Amino acid sequence: MTTGPTLAEVEEVGPAAPPAGPPASGKRLLTTITRDKGALACLVFLGIVVLMAIAAPLITKLSGWGPYAFDSAAINSDLGGLPHGALGGISGSHWFGVEPQNGRDLFARIVYGARVSITISLSATLLTGILGVVLGMLAGFYRGWVDQVISRVMDFLMAFPALIFMIAILSSLPSGNRPVLLVVVISAFGWPYLARVIRGQTMTLANREFVEAARASGAKDTQVVFREILPNLRGSIVVMTTLAIPGYIGTEAGLSFLGVGVAPPTASWGQMIASSVSWYSVDPMFFAIPGAFLFLTVLSLTVLGDKIRSGIDQGEAA
Amino acid sequence: MIRYVLGRLGGVVLILLAVCLFTYLIFFKLSPDPAVMICGKTCTPDRIDSIRNVLGLNQPLLTQFWEFLRGIFAGREYGSVHCSAPCLGYSFQTNESVWSMITARLPVSITVAVGAAVLWLLAGVIGGLVSAVKQGTWWDRTAMALALGGVSVPNYVLALVLQYVLVVKLQILPFPSAVSFVDNPIVWFESYLMPWVVLAVGYACLYARLTRSNVIDTLSENYFRTARAKGLSSSLTMRRHALRPALTPITTIFGMDFAGLLGGALITETVFGLNGIGKMAADSIAKNDQPVIMAVTLLAAFFVVIGNVVVDLLYTALDPRVRVVSA
Amino acid sequence: MKRTSRLTGLIGIVASAALALTACGGGGGGSSSNGGSAGPGAKAQQGGTLQVLANAAFSHLDPARGFDGGVNNFYRLVYRTLTTQGAAPGADGTKIVPDLATDTGKTTDGGKTWTFTLKDGLFFETGAPITSADVKWGVSRAWDPEIGIGSPYAKQLIEAPASYQGPYKSGELSTIDTPDAKTIVFHLKKPFADFGSVVAQNTFSPVPKGQGAGNALDSKPIASGPYKVAEYKPGASLKLVRNDKWDKKTDDVRTANPDVFQWTFGLDPATIDERMIAGQGTDANAIAGTVQAASVARIQTPQLKQRTMTGSNGCTTYMGLNSTKKPLDNVKVRQAINLAINKQTVRDADGGSALAEIGTSIQPPTITGRVDYDPYPSPDHKGDVDGARKLLTEAGFGNEFTMTLDTRAQPKMQAMAVAIQQALEPLKITVKINTIDTATYYEVIGTTSQQHDAAITGWCPDWPSGATFLPPLFDGRNITPKGNTNLSQLNDPGVNAKIDEIAKLTDVAAANKAYGELDKQIMELAPVVPLVYEKVLMLIGSNIGGAYLHDGFSGGIDLVSVGLKDAGK
Repeated sequence: MTTGPTLAEVEEVGPAAPPAGPPASGKRLLTTITRDKGALACLVFLGIVVLMAIAAPLITKLSGWGPYAFDSAAINSDLGGLPHGALGGISGSHWFGVEPQNGRDLFARIVYGARVSITISLSATLLTGILGVVLGMLAGFYRGWVDQVISRVMDFLMAFPALIFMIAILSSLPSGNRPVLLVVVISAFGWPYLARVIRGQTMTLANREFVEAARASGAKDTQVVFREILPNLRGSIVVMTTLAIPGYIGTEAGLSFLGVGVAPPTASWGQMIASSVSWYSVDPMFFAIPGAFLFLTVLSLTVLGDKIRSGIDQGEAA
Repeated sequence: MIRYVLGRLGGVVLILLAVCLFTYLIFFKLSPDPAVMICGKTCTPDRIDSIRNVLGLNQPLLTQFWEFLRGIFAGREYGSVHCSAPCLGYSFQTNESVWSMITARLPVSITVAVGAAVLWLLAGVIGGLVSAVKQGTWWDRTAMALALGGVSVPNYVLALVLQYVLVVKLQILPFPSAVSFVDNPIVWFESYLMPWVVLAVGYACLYARLTRSNVIDTLSENYFRTARAKGLSSSLTMRRHALRPALTPITTIFGMDFAGLLGGALITETVFGLNGIGKMAADSIAKNDQPVIMAVTLLAAFFVVIGNVVVDLLYTALDPRVRVVSA
Repeated sequence: MKRTSRLTGLIGIVASAALALTACGGGGGGSSSNGGSAGPGAKAQQGGTLQVLANAAFSHLDPARGFDGGVNNFYRLVYRTLTTQGAAPGADGTKIVPDLATDTGKTTDGGKTWTFTLKDGLFFETGAPITSADVKWGVSRAWDPEIGIGSPYAKQLIEAPASYQGPYKSGELSTIDTPDAKTIVFHLKKPFADFGSVVAQNTFSPVPKGQGAGNALDSKPIASGPYKVAEYKPGASLKLVRNDKWDKKTDDVRTANPDVFQWTFGLDPATIDERMIAGQGTDANAIAGTVQAASVARIQTPQLKQRTMTGSNGCTTYMGLNSTKKPLDNVKVRQAINLAINKQTVRDADGGSALAEIGTSIQPPTITGRVDYDPYPSPDHKGDVDGARKLLTEAGFGNEFTMTLDTRAQPKMQAMAVAIQQALEPLKITVKINTIDTATYYEVIGTTSQQHDAAITGWCPDWPSGATFLPPLFDGRNITPKGNTNLSQLNDPGVNAKIDEIAKLTDVAAANKAYGELDKQIMELAPVVPLVYEKVLMLIGSNIGGAYLHDGFSGGIDLVSVGLKDAGK
């Protein structure tokens, strides 16, 4: 199932990292990234996508077509609903062409689809982050039976064929609130991977002098956790979560592609790619446009994640 | 060591049982009534009741779960239908025992999985090695940039692009179909080529990146420098002192990835219309054919759990440094 | 170094193979026409292997279980029944002719007792003669709760003890007589004039006495027709070869051209289209189902048009409006919805003009006596929003309201639902789409307590008469808590009375005409919105001959007549 960006490499950063020194500062990270042309291009592209997502209603007002409006005039009913004109009906009024069979504006659907991708992947990252850090720290800090219980749950969740199970669950659940369901299901199977790393590092940290010193000076558990341990985990958390976002975007698109993602008529890139499958030989643009957006977004995030990771590595090595 | 192995196996059984129970509970709650499926289009309430009785669907959940577990080892009856051991359930939509559905499709899935695995191991490890040795050159930079692209492209997107270019436009390859090797080796190879590539790309890129960074790490380690200083030839030091420690983690990851392949194959098989277990799973999900979905979930979990154990054992055997620690 | 772990990147997927289920209750009737020229109609030779490319596998090989246009057509290759439909295009295809029996049945008491006599020289593939006891055994399987899930007519019409559960559980059925090996006598619950048509149903296939328990016939049918199953891989392939015990002299219906029928199941619909368009190698000897909407544009070349066949599938796709829910209980609201729906966008969602006609009346064009009319007209069928708004205001629902539309988890159905949603938006009617999986869709919407405000579904007649269309859908006394087909839950005294009145008519033509009028009477109450009449549009291989669309099998190519033009290819 690991066909997307995986975190295989991340754990190497984790346990080996000497967390004594302060992690790389955000400022220096930013300079490293902006100095790299490739990374800068990625950043710019992501900026555009995020802007599209935030300003979707405004943008579609400018372009003239909403994401749900049908345009029967743009398609040829006698040819199965194929868009009129070349390149999938690209024209002054439909900038990216239209969807076959109903004439919905592809530009508007891409813009609104960005909303879905970004909202779901960020929410999933947030939820995974919270679950992973809290449970990982609990297990690593308290050990004993707490660790036993949490570790067994992690083993159990990681033994699941997550993709198959997610599809199966989503396909049998009532339509309800799809985006929320997607976030919950993705996070439920995602947090153990972060928690494992956090647990390992917390265990190492808990034995270090500065933590023992803090304890000796009478600090409470919560103080130790929040003041001494958490700040030292920052690097790993940042790296793991940034590398997780593109994975979740891919997952959301994949689930929508499979028909268990957001419900129609909501626009989603994965769902657009799914409906383009049968059309690609007569209307390749219908596939190419959402496919390109999905690929470039995932690629940009992966490249940036990669840069952040090496930036933090260097910061720690320095 | 034996105690360790036995302990791990005990854990495996427990995890599998938990996965079984969890899956069963979820599907029990979510899935449509099998009696309704059997009953067909001209159904009446009376007939549904009598089918429920015959199938034991009126019994408490745990009894049914126990029956399911027992069926795996002893076989069971569904009304007048016999499902022989190992009975993973019976699909009333296809009128087949799930086990025979799985075994019928296994050859296709194995062909897809093994071919892709060979491809990604070769491409990934060789690519990574060359990059490490030529660290910093244009080759290294191009290869690593490609690898980043490769891990970022969703495999269904790649599959459709390849199919459009190679099959529809250039007509170099035929539409993939599950031809047997014996019938026509050439068509067989042409049919499976795209599925192999699509399934392998993500892993190959990942392995290339891993191999590269591992080899670079090892090259800079002390014992490696010592070996060189002692005057061992460079190809020998490469092989004995750099490759082995660098590839050990790859071996273990490979075990896990291969075990988890059922999920990835689901996408590839479906996009290319190959009748393997992955496509069967996707079809069953589309039809909400619960016994099949459940059996595939269990099978996949089984592979992942077993893969984990094998990897652990392999790792202990391969890397002397961890032997004491993990025991 | 520690063992590395991975966060599974779950980029996943499936071209969700659309389940090509039609909403039909049974082998639909309907008339169809050959779109092609001499190509498809050309004569077929005996011999060769005919390929069938299919997405969905057959539901059942057991004739007591399967009951839809696809299997009914296939069953005629393997099974024979007492009577059967003709083998010809047009109306001749739906005419009932003798098959195993020497005639279409004799009755001496006005239709309550029916006697059939078997022909001579009938054998199963095993070589055993087919006797009246075997026919009886086959019919009585319809009462088995697990097996008799196909055609319901035997159970509905033939007298039987209330507790009877089929021959395997309850022994032989006492109410069917077999005085000798050639004669079989049925006693009905009440007189039924058209029983000769009923014994053409799949459930009247003979099964050797004592055999066929459980799912035995689903994996290995016992052939009485011209072909037997040589190899069956469920979900993957099916191979039929000639049954040499079948004697052509006893059979006036089946030409049985090819030596072998080879089905391949589980093919992606897009792949099927690609292969049929290319028509390479053995695909020249292939037939397949209706093409995808995306392929319509590609089959417009003269060469491909020659290989194209099109016709009606004889069904109506409609949206039922639940008249027990507010505000749909108000007839004006239902009329407003009928007026507002943009049927052009609905048809486009269903594949455009090549794959569907716009629906206006309840009965599809293939029904005898159907009147072509449009009770809720609008320019180009694009919907009359202003007229609808006026009706809503009159009814007091000018402000917004929300309704939930049940739809099957299938891309085409969802696309139609979205088109409806879009069409009602200007009226401030918010349509919530509730997607239900295909396997349980009919069960859910047929359960009155689970049904929502509206549902998209379809209906096909069991034979081309209003009798199998309007009463099952609109007779208010048929509303049942489960398995309900009257989705609008319309219980109108006027409609009920008219249904009874027509049922008493003995003249079939007069009855059909009356059903045409009843259609209008019902549509005034607007319990449903007729959406489209779907069409079949298929490509056949260049070497296929003798192909015509059969009215009795939802417009499928009649398998008992099709063959290869050149059997040597």
